[in-house]
Amino acid sequence: MILRALVWLLGVAMIAGVLHIVTVFGVPHYAVHEPWDELAPFGPTDRFVALPRVAPGVKSLPGLDPAMMQTVCRFTLGKGPVRIRVTPADVYWSLSLYDRHGLHVWGTDNRVTGQKAIDILVANDVHVAQLRENAPDELEDIVVVDWKAGDGIALIQIMVPLASMEGEIAASLRTASCVPTPLG
Amino acid sequence: MRLFLSLLLTIPIVLALGLGSAWYMIAAPRAGTVEVGAWRALPAAEAETIDPYTRARIARTGEIAMAAGEGLTFVATHDDPGHDLEGNCEIHLVADTAPARLWTLTATGADGEPVATPSKRTHMSSREVLRDGNGHWDVVVNATARSGNWLPGPGKGGVRLTLRLYDTPFNLGSSSLPTLPKVEQRACR
Repeated sequence: MILRALVWLLGVAMIAGVLHIVTVFGVPHYAVHEPWDELAPFGPTDRFVALPRVAPGVKSLPGLDPAMMQTVCRFTLGKGPVRIRVTPADVYWSLSLYDRHGLHVWGTDNRVTGQKAIDILVANDVHVAQLRENAPDELEDIVVVDWKAGDGIALIQIMVPLASMEGEIAASLRTASCVPTPLG
Repeated sequence: MRLFLSLLLTIPIVLALGLGSAWYMIAAPRAGTVEVGAWRALPAAEAETIDPYTRARIARTGEIAMAAGEGLTFVATHDDPGHDLEGNCEIHLVADTAPARLWTLTATGADGEPVATPSKRTHMSSREVLRDGNGHWDVVVNATARSGNWLPGPGKGGVRLTLRLYDTPFNLGSSSLPTLPKVEQRACR
């Protein structure tokens, strides 16, 4: 009797464990909140679009800091590597690159770069090989980010220390560009 | 008949255990996180190192998590003694030091959605907080306006506080963690 109860317990634990694992790994396949799709209503791909400031009743992405202003670009690598350039206002800012599921891949901020502007080139393996063979002179000073996927999301966040600076900071974000740059 | 009865008993138990434990792990950040007082750090969502629980949670919420190199996000839904944060209480945050060079504090409903407040303010940052001569500071989160450091919060229901540390030397892997504000609730109505 005790043996049968033990076998039953073991069986229950094992099947429950399998169910646990299947559920955890299955959720991402059925989840509907893909940041890539959630961002589609805000604007087209391959250009930066300003997200509305986080506020009650305003549709934006969950998890963003209301103290920051955000601008976002959904980039695609089909037409060549993507060059991202911006000269943000002189306050705390960060540039983060996410995959289409919203997982972080690469990032920098004004403390890391120690300079006032960003100029990076997001390139896949083929682009990188092309660049090695025949590097355009103007790309010498650019950071090349190795990108595995065919697309991604670039998010610039910038601190708005005072409400009165909002206009100036928004203007600095409008200098942001995210352009496919065909090679050769 | 006995087999049928035992299956009738076993299947709900298996479902409850398997799905329940998965839900428990996914509903709130529990894997890859640390707790400091009432605060719980959100795990980093790095594409290369993310754990399956965080991946499942983020797939459900669709949230954009702060990058590991950028800073740390701490969330509190209960006070230091362990009581849930309620909008009908005065929530006091008491701190001896600045947890980071730049930090921001947000009070939202328990679901993380910002709540409408008459003053339209939704956050407070290290730039605007008033400190005393020794660098100590405290913030009151409440629906009713008051003097000093006041952050408007929900008037009723649960409250979630989010403290984001930017430009901080700490990360989730470091052996020492920042000293975070104490969270107390007083004068509940």
